[in-house]
Amino acid sequence: MPTSLGKSLSNLMKRILFSKRLDKKEVESFIKELQRVLLQADVSVELVKKISDNLRKKCLETKPPPGLTLREHLIKTLYEELVELLGKEPSSLIGKRRIMLIGLFGSGKTTTAGKLAKYLQKQGLKPALVACDYHRPAAPDQLKQIGEQIGIPVHVNKDKDPFKAAKEGMEKFKQMDSIIFDTAGRNALDKELADELKKLGRIINPDEVLLVIPADIGKVGGKQAEEFNKLVGITGVVITKMDGTARGGGALAACAATGAKVKFLGTGERLDDLEVYDPIRFVSRLIGFGDLQALMEKAREAEIKEEDVKKIVEGSFTLADFYKQIEAMQKMGPLDQLAQMIPGLGYTLPQDILQIQEEKMKKWKAIIQSMTPEERENPSIINKSRIERIAKGSGTKESEVRELLRQFEKMKKLIKSMGGIKGLKRGAFQKVLKRFGFKM
Amino acid sequence: MFSLLKKKLSEVAKKLTGKAKEKEVKKKEVKKAERVKREKEKTVKKKPKLIEKIVRKVTVKKLDENDVLPILQDLELSLVEADVAFETAEKIKKNLVNELVGKEIRRGKEKEVVLNAIKKTLLKILDVPSIDLVKMVRGKKKQGKPFVILFLGYNGSGKTTSMAKLVHFLKKKGFSCVFAAADTFRAASIEQLEEHARKLGIKVIKHRYGADPAAVVFDAIKHAEANRIDVVLADTAGRTHANRNLMDELKKIVRVNKPDLKVLVIDSLTGNDAVEQAKMFDEAVGVDAVMFTKVDVNEKGGAILSVTHTIKKPILFLGTGQGYEDLEIFEKEKFVKDLIS
Repeated sequence: MPTSLGKSLSNLMKRILFSKRLDKKEVESFIKELQRVLLQADVSVELVKKISDNLRKKCLETKPPPGLTLREHLIKTLYEELVELLGKEPSSLIGKRRIMLIGLFGSGKTTTAGKLAKYLQKQGLKPALVACDYHRPAAPDQLKQIGEQIGIPVHVNKDKDPFKAAKEGMEKFKQMDSIIFDTAGRNALDKELADELKKLGRIINPDEVLLVIPADIGKVGGKQAEEFNKLVGITGVVITKMDGTARGGGALAACAATGAKVKFLGTGERLDDLEVYDPIRFVSRLIGFGDLQALMEKAREAEIKEEDVKKIVEGSFTLADFYKQIEAMQKMGPLDQLAQMIPGLGYTLPQDILQIQEEKMKKWKAIIQSMTPEERENPSIINKSRIERIAKGSGTKESEVRELLRQFEKMKKLIKSMGGIKGLKRGAFQKVLKRFGFKM
Repeated sequence: MFSLLKKKLSEVAKKLTGKAKEKEVKKKEVKKAERVKREKEKTVKKKPKLIEKIVRKVTVKKLDENDVLPILQDLELSLVEADVAFETAEKIKKNLVNELVGKEIRRGKEKEVVLNAIKKTLLKILDVPSIDLVKMVRGKKKQGKPFVILFLGYNGSGKTTSMAKLVHFLKKKGFSCVFAAADTFRAASIEQLEEHARKLGIKVIKHRYGADPAAVVFDAIKHAEANRIDVVLADTAGRTHANRNLMDELKKIVRVNKPDLKVLVIDSLTGNDAVEQAKMFDEAVGVDAVMFTKVDVNEKGGAILSVTHTIKKPILFLGTGQGYEDLEIFEKEKFVKDLIS
């Protein structure tokens, strides 16, 4: 979220991560800034206090464990604190027979029911859906239409009775691997709706109860989660609408209040847009700055091999190598995620540029694929007619082919100069990548 | 004889000196008296000044940061706890600090003064021009044209339910209504609208799923014109303001149909993101009024304050329950009282 606050935090992170000396005063000011960021991400005041107290205790009052600098220790502790609340393990629904979805109005239960069914189907299981929401007009129709889209059976009770629907559904889908029950949205503090849910819980006797909460929910998330937990006992949390601009801090409160962990994230409006919860990615997003360590690891994975280095130093870097590099960068993940992982960069890069950049990389790959091996090894032979052919073959414009060639020459020069001066130290190539990838 | 004279003389002398002494004494006494008097006068003159000063010092003081900050920090936290966006709460705090520090007030009234200032500030934020929906609809009716209301908002904010409530309200005022099912994306959205329409006894103009929503609204307006229906209420698909394509689609609906009122529906349970949602919808198509929903779940609903602070648009209604009747007019005094209590 490109807010001024985000910028100020990212500057602070830069200071912390790249400062030569990280002393107690710096840590203290870091904690203060962090508090602001967490509050802005909808984390409750109480939790913010708890997290910052723990950080102080672990980072200031005790020495960092051997092998870790205070800086690393600070980042690590912060992650651990947040992951402790949100859950470490990616979860699995395999073996869960009866899955019940509960939540407030408009949190996205029905859509999530469809997404979960599709997810289970992809795992090779046979799921079924049961409509237990007869309050919201046309909610069963919605579930039916979703079922039709993905080819999953849906049971609806004709008398619009949620209890009968649950019973019939369990009988009808005995042979299925999993049954997902979509319940009505409700205010957990509303007596009538609470009683209905309790009764439904007794009938279904679910082995997984997922609380569905939207990422943009505020402080009310914690209180509601607590009430829901009292009614039926929550085993996990699904955070929906993660494709918006909200950071999902209300989820933290829900987890803290119930002890249940996040299991899935809804990331879009299509039924495929469901992600298994990944603590690193989620926590990064929550606090708005990336995980340097993960970036380093990923960068190392993508690092070039010894022989490539030689080639580069000798100036024989070819388009085939360039192709490999593009692939390596794509392996590191979508560019926006990558950018978020670089502290200080996450906020400065507008989404548009990243999107364009990503599209460009795809095109470049297609262009290189449309070249002959000879052209790839020796791009200087590419003349006008060859450009025409390559553009046609790759479905791109001639100007785009030319742009690629220009960029390739630029990169070749840049790499050569860096290789020559620094002897291509570890990480030097990453600098090139960064410059090349982000500064065009 | 001489002795007598001497005596007399000495007596005179004595008398004289005595008189002189006496005089001196008297003079001194007079001086003293005068001095005392002067001093008295001085003190008498001085006294009221001093008392005033002391009184002033005791009762009037300049507010400094130490008086103001603790109260305002508490305020900031309680606003944030009530889901007012952090950014908004911080701005409110900063403005109040600027306003209050250096202000002369009566001693012992610090808290009262600060609290009053807070109340005033919050009320001022909520003091946006109101809109008279009934009057607007009537005005359009006089021209013989239907009044077109477009509902927009994030997924699950409660657009469809709010529309149904508004139809209920408008029908009670004697207006005829029609729905435009312009959410052609979400599964069963049209059926949902049809069920409401059946209960409310009005018609739905619809196309297939996946159809162009701008065209649906267009047809509904044509239908209303032909059948002399007063109000067209158009439902749009819930969309995230972060998706450019969906926002472009919204822009097209507005461009083609030029609605009279664009109502942004915001879930009052939303936290900090409410500001972002309001800002981006307003930037994309221009919001005319806001409806906050689910206020019965969270009466504090700080989102109301942050959104109004951000886009300064009138609040049409609050949604306060599942029934068609559950529609309330926003009362800012009550809201502010609840918020800071």
